[in-house]
Amino acid sequence: MVLPALSTSTEQVSLPSLVEELLREQHTMTAVEQFSQTIRERQRPTQSKYYQALLPANPPGPGEQYAFEVNLDRCSGCKACVTACHALNGLDEQETWRDVGLLVGGTTSLPVIQHVTAACHHCIEPACMDVCPTLAYEKSSQTGIVKHLDDQCFGCQYCILACPYEVPKYHASKGIVRKCDMCSDRLAAGEAPACVQACPHEAIRISVVSQADVAADCEATNFLPGAPDPQITLPTTTYKSSHVFPRNMLPADYLVVRIEEAHPPLILMLVLTQLSVGGFFCNAWMFSGDATPGLNVIRNWQTLTSVGLGFLALAASTMHLGRPHLAWRAVLGLRTSWLSREIVTFGLFAASAAAYSTGTLFWSEGLLANEYFWQSVRAGVLATGLAGVLCSVMIYYRTHRPTWGGTRTLFRFIGTTIWLGLAVTVFAGMFATLVQSDVELETVMQELVAHLGRPLMICAFVKLAYEASDLLHLLDRHQSPLKRLALLMTGELGGIAIARFALGLLGGIILPWSLLTACSDSHVKWVATVSTMFLMSLVGELLERTLFFMTAVAPRMPGAVRT
Amino acid sequence: MIPHRLQKLFRVFDGPNTSELAQHPAPFGLPRLPASAMPTSTAKMVCGFCSTGCGLTVHLQDSKPVGLSPTTEYPVNLGMACPKGWEALSVLNSSDRATTPLLRNDRGRLEPVEWSTAVQTFAQRWRKICDQHGPESMAWLGTGQIAVEELAFLGALGKFGMGMLHGDGNTRQCMATSVVAYKQSFGFDAPPYTYGDFEESDVIVLVGANPCIAHPILWERVMRNPHQPKIIVVDPRRTETAMSAHLHLALKPKSDLILFYGIANILFARGWIDEEFLNDHTRGATEFRQHVSTYTPDMVSRETGLPIEAIEQFARLIHAGTRVSFWWTMGINQSYEGVRAAQSLINLALMTGNIGRPGTGANSITGQCNAMGSRLFSNTTSLMGGREFTNPEHRQHVASLLNIPVERIPDRNSFSYHEILKAILEGRIKGLWVVATNPAHSWINQDQAKDILSRLEFLVVQDMYSNTETAQLADLVLPAAAWGEKEGTFINSERRISAIRQVATAPGQALSDFRIFQLIANACGAGPMFHEWTSPAAVFQILKKLSAGQPCDFTGIEDFEHLERAGGIQWPYSSEFHDQLTRAEASASASDSDSCADSLRVQERRLFEDGVFYHDDGKARLLFEASRPMPEPPTDEYPFILLTGRGTAAQWHTQTRTAKSAVLRKLAPTSVYAEINPNDARRIGIHSQQKVVVASRRASVTVTAFVTPAVAPGQLFLPMHYPEVNRLTDAVFDPYSKQPSYKACAVRLGLP
Repeated sequence: MVLPALSTSTEQVSLPSLVEELLREQHTMTAVEQFSQTIRERQRPTQSKYYQALLPANPPGPGEQYAFEVNLDRCSGCKACVTACHALNGLDEQETWRDVGLLVGGTTSLPVIQHVTAACHHCIEPACMDVCPTLAYEKSSQTGIVKHLDDQCFGCQYCILACPYEVPKYHASKGIVRKCDMCSDRLAAGEAPACVQACPHEAIRISVVSQADVAADCEATNFLPGAPDPQITLPTTTYKSSHVFPRNMLPADYLVVRIEEAHPPLILMLVLTQLSVGGFFCNAWMFSGDATPGLNVIRNWQTLTSVGLGFLALAASTMHLGRPHLAWRAVLGLRTSWLSREIVTFGLFAASAAAYSTGTLFWSEGLLANEYFWQSVRAGVLATGLAGVLCSVMIYYRTHRPTWGGTRTLFRFIGTTIWLGLAVTVFAGMFATLVQSDVELETVMQELVAHLGRPLMICAFVKLAYEASDLLHLLDRHQSPLKRLALLMTGELGGIAIARFALGLLGGIILPWSLLTACSDSHVKWVATVSTMFLMSLVGELLERTLFFMTAVAPRMPGAVRT
Repeated sequence: MIPHRLQKLFRVFDGPNTSELAQHPAPFGLPRLPASAMPTSTAKMVCGFCSTGCGLTVHLQDSKPVGLSPTTEYPVNLGMACPKGWEALSVLNSSDRATTPLLRNDRGRLEPVEWSTAVQTFAQRWRKICDQHGPESMAWLGTGQIAVEELAFLGALGKFGMGMLHGDGNTRQCMATSVVAYKQSFGFDAPPYTYGDFEESDVIVLVGANPCIAHPILWERVMRNPHQPKIIVVDPRRTETAMSAHLHLALKPKSDLILFYGIANILFARGWIDEEFLNDHTRGATEFRQHVSTYTPDMVSRETGLPIEAIEQFARLIHAGTRVSFWWTMGINQSYEGVRAAQSLINLALMTGNIGRPGTGANSITGQCNAMGSRLFSNTTSLMGGREFTNPEHRQHVASLLNIPVERIPDRNSFSYHEILKAILEGRIKGLWVVATNPAHSWINQDQAKDILSRLEFLVVQDMYSNTETAQLADLVLPAAAWGEKEGTFINSERRISAIRQVATAPGQALSDFRIFQLIANACGAGPMFHEWTSPAAVFQILKKLSAGQPCDFTGIEDFEHLERAGGIQWPYSSEFHDQLTRAEASASASDSDSCADSLRVQERRLFEDGVFYHDDGKARLLFEASRPMPEPPTDEYPFILLTGRGTAAQWHTQTRTAKSAVLRKLAPTSVYAEINPNDARRIGIHSQQKVVVASRRASVTVTAFVTPAVAPGQLFLPMHYPEVNRLTDAVFDPYSKQPSYKACAVRLGLP
C-alpha cells in the first residue's frame, strides 16, 4: 500500500509552543466549575433510602444497646466496608478501623469459605475501658457505644494490649489511640455508620440487643468460630448465618505467627524498676543484723545505684507515652486500671526511696538515732516497690494473653527482681570499694560474693530453666499461643533468644561461679568480671523482656490470607 | 476512690483531636463528614478501574478533591463501590507517578527530558524505523483503561496518521473471545444485557466468574434480586460466589465446552427448547442438535468429573426457569477454545428463548473500565465503529466521515497481540508504543514476553507511573495524566456510555493521553489531519458520526452534560430514538402519567427485544465445534493444573495502581501465594505459610502455601496480580479470538 505523503511540518503549529499550550491546558482546572454541582441544599442524605431498613426503628431501652449485626451469608469479602470507613471518617492514610477476615474449613467434597467483617464489638465489659489509666473510654449508658475520648488519651496503648480484637489503633503522629465509635454522630442523626451504608450486599446492620442476651450467648461461647473467647469482654456484635459451619473452620491466617511490638521504653522500665526494687531488698539485708564494716562502706553506694536506676526506669516509662506531658492523668484510673495503680505505686516507691536515700546519705548519724522512723521508711520503700512489681504483673495478666499468664509473668518479674537486685548489689559493692580508699576491695568483695553469689546462681538457673521450658511447647500438636511463642523463639526471634540465654548463663551462672571459686587478688580481674557479670545479667534480662513483648501472641479476629 | 463527679472534672470530652473526626451535616445529600473533608462542590464521573462502570461523586473543596463517595442515583451501583472505587483518588498521589518524559541515555539510564525532545525523538525514531523497515515495522499496544476519545485518537493516529498496520490492546487478554463470539453469533459485538437483568432473573448461571471478588457491584445487583433466583455457578474452584450458589458445578478445568454441549443435548432430547424462537430467529439449530447428540450424560459426566445427577439438575433448572440469564467472564474468555465455549452459552440462551426479555441473555461481563470503548473505537481489530478494514465500503465511509484520503485506511487486518510479539521476535516489528498497559507483567509466558520486548529497537511506554515492569524496559517513557486528571467517556459492560471529568491536576509535566497524541500527531506531521480533534468533547462528536447507522449508534447523545444528566446512556441511542423519547416524555409529563417508568426504561435497556439480530437475515447463528483436550494436560512430571484469576477485590490487574494505596495494600496479601488442596498438601508435606515451589515447563517460582479445600486436588490457584504468576503460564491462544489461555497449564509443586 502506498501512502500519500504527509503534510510537511511547516504547516503545523511549532512543537514547543504546542507543548506549552497543552501543559497550560492540562493545569487549568476551570473546567471543574462548569460541571460540578455547587448548590448547597440541605437535604437528607440520598443514600438513606437504601440503609433506612438497616437501622433499628427504636433506640435501645434499659438493659439494651446498639450493636453491629453481620449477616455472614451476605458478606462476600469485597472489603468495601473497610475503605468506606477509612474514607468517610477522614482516617489517616494507613488507618483502618474495620477489617475483613476469612474462615476456611469443610472437606474437599464440600469446602466452606466465609469472609467475616469486623470492627469494634462495643463490648458489655470493654477491656479497653477497664484498663485505661486516664478514663479515656466511655460506654454510653443510652446507646452502649464504647467511645474513645481522643483528647483525654495520653497514648499509653494499654487498651491495644488489652482488647482481644485488635480494635484500638495507635496514631503515632498524634500520640493517641483512635477507634470505631459506630459513627455515633451519624447514628444520632439517623444516618447509618459508614460501613453499614457502604456494604453493597447489606451484610452489616445496626440492631438493638439485650445485654443480658449477649452475656448469655457469650456464656455459651456463641460468637464466631476462630474468634477470641467472648467471655473476656462480652462482645455485642451478632454474626448470623444460615449455614452450619463445619467443625474444622479455622482463620485463613491461623498458622501465621506474628511478631508483636517490642515497646522498648516498657522493656527498660520493667527491668529497671525490678532491679531497683531488688536492690532495695538487698539494701535492707545490708542494713539489717550484724553487718560487717566492709558492707557498711558500700551500702550507701548501693542505695544510690538502686535509686538512680529506679528513677531512670520511671523516666523511660514516660517515653512510652504518646503524650508524656499528660502523664499525671494516670491517677484518674486508679479505681479500675492496673496501669494507674502501677504508676502511682512506683511513684510512691520513687518518692520514699528518694527520701530514704537522702536520709541514709546525709544523716546517717540521725538515722541511727531515729532507727524506728527510718526502718518504717525502709519498710515503705520495700512495700511500695514490691507492690509496684505486682502491679506490673497484673497489667499483663489482665490482658488475658496466654503468654502473659499470671504465673508466667509473676515468675519472670520476681525472678528479675531477685536476680538483678543481687547483681546490682555486687556491682555497686565493687564500684564502692574502687572509689573508697579505706577498704580492701578483695576482702569486701569476697564477703559480698560469699553471701550473694550462690542465691544469684540459683535464681538465674531457675529463671533460665523456667524460660527454656517454653520450648517444650514445640512438641504441642495444637497450634496454641504457647506453641506460637516457641516457634517465634526458635524461628524469627531465634537470634534474640540465643543471645538471651547465652548472656543469662554467663552473667547469672558462669561468672558468679568463677567469682566464688577463683580467688583473685587482681583489682582488674575483679572489676572486669563483676562489671561483665552485671552487664550481661542486665542485658540478658532486657532481652528476656524484649522476647516477653515480641512473643506475646495476641488473640485476634480471624484474619485474611497473609504472606 | 475518686468520686465520679470529680473524675468528670479531669476528663476532656472535646478538643482538637476529637473535633478532627467529628462528623458534621454535609451538603449535596452526602453523609455526615469530618470538617476537613467537607465539600464545597461535587463532580460526578464513573470509576476508572473495571467495566462495571460505577458512578462516583468526587467531593471538591475549593476545586480540589478531598474525597469521594459512590453516587446514589447512578443506575449501575446504587450508591455502592468496591474498595478500588473508594480509593480511586488516593492512587493518584504517588511518588511513582511519571512526572516528566524520560529518555534512555547512552549509559542505559532513563533520564528526564523536555516534552519537545521526547516527541521529536519519538518522531525521528519512528521515521527511521519506517524508512528502514517499512510501515509495518512500528506497532502499538493499547488498552481498555483510557477514554474512548483517546483510544480513537490513538487508533486513528496510528493507522491513518502514521501509517502503522498493526495495533492491538490489552483487551485481547480479557475480551477478545466475547467480541468474536458475539460478532459471529449475533452479527455484531453486542453484549445484549443491562445490569437490571441480574435483578429480573429467576435462574442465574455464572460461568468462570467470581463476581463477589471480580465485580462486587454486579454481585450487589444479584443480591438485590427479589425473585429468590436459583444461582448456578460453574467453576472448578469453590469461590465466594460458588458458596452462595444453589448448585455449584466444580467441573474439571477446561471441560466447560463439553458440559454445555451436554446440557444442550439434554435440552434437545427432552424437548426443553423454544422451537419457535429457534425457527424464527436462528440458523444452525439442526446441525447443532446433531453435533451435541454425542455429548451424552455419561460422556459429559466422565469428562467433566461431575455426577450425572448434577448435570441433569443443571438442565432441569434451566428448563424450569422462566427468565434464565447466562453470565461469563475470564473462565470462558481466557481459553484455547473460548469462542466456542462462549457460543455454547449463547446457544443455550437462544435455544431456550432466553434472550431479549428481562432477566435473560447470554451475557459477557467485561473486564476493564473502557474495554467496550476499545472494542468499538480503538481501530485495531475492527475499523472505527465496529466496521471491517477489509470492506471497501466501510473504508470509504469512514474516510469520508473523517475527511481523510481512503488510501490512508489499511485494507487488511492488524496483527493481534501475540502476532505482534511474534513479529518482533522475527525482526519484522522494530518499534512498539505501549499505552497504559503492562505486558512485561501481564502477558502470558512472561519471561519470553520480556525477552521479546527487549529485542525492540525502540520501545515507548506511555503510562501514569514510571516504574511499571514495562516502563523499566522502555527507551522512552511518556508521562500520562490519569483518570480524574482528564476528560472523556468510558463504555461499561452493559454498553453504558458515561463521562469522566478532570477533578485533579496532573503531577509535573504529565499530560493527558489525548494531549500526548496531539503532540505526537504534530511531531509526526499528522497535525493537519487531526486539526478537528481539539478536545475529547470535539472527538466525541466525531465518534457520534462514526456510530451513525451502526448497531452502536449513539447519535442521540448530545454531549458529556447529557450523559451526566441521564446517569449514563446505553447504546444504541440514535437521534431518532432521542427525539421519540423527548416527545414521549413531554406528553407523559403533560398527562402526568407513568413518566417515572419511562425514564427507568431509558436507564436500563437490553438488546434483541424484537428477536432481530445483526446478521443480514436478522437471525442469530448457532455455532459449535468439536471440543478439544487442554493443550498442556497434567503429566507425571507436571501433575498439577494451575488455575489463575483475581485474588481480592482490592487488587487490580498488575497492581500498578492499587499498590499505591496504603489501604488497598492492607487488604491483600503482599506477595504471591498458592491455594493448595489439603490432600495434596498432606501428601507432599506442606502446611500453610510455608514457602513452596511451583514450576511449569517455562519457569519456576517460589510462593507461600495457603492450604484450602476451596481448590480441588490436583489443582493449584495463583492470583494473577503478582508478577511471578505469568512466568508459569503457557502461551496458547484461541484460534478465533487470539486470546491467551491463562487459566490452565501443567505445573508441579514441591518444597524448595
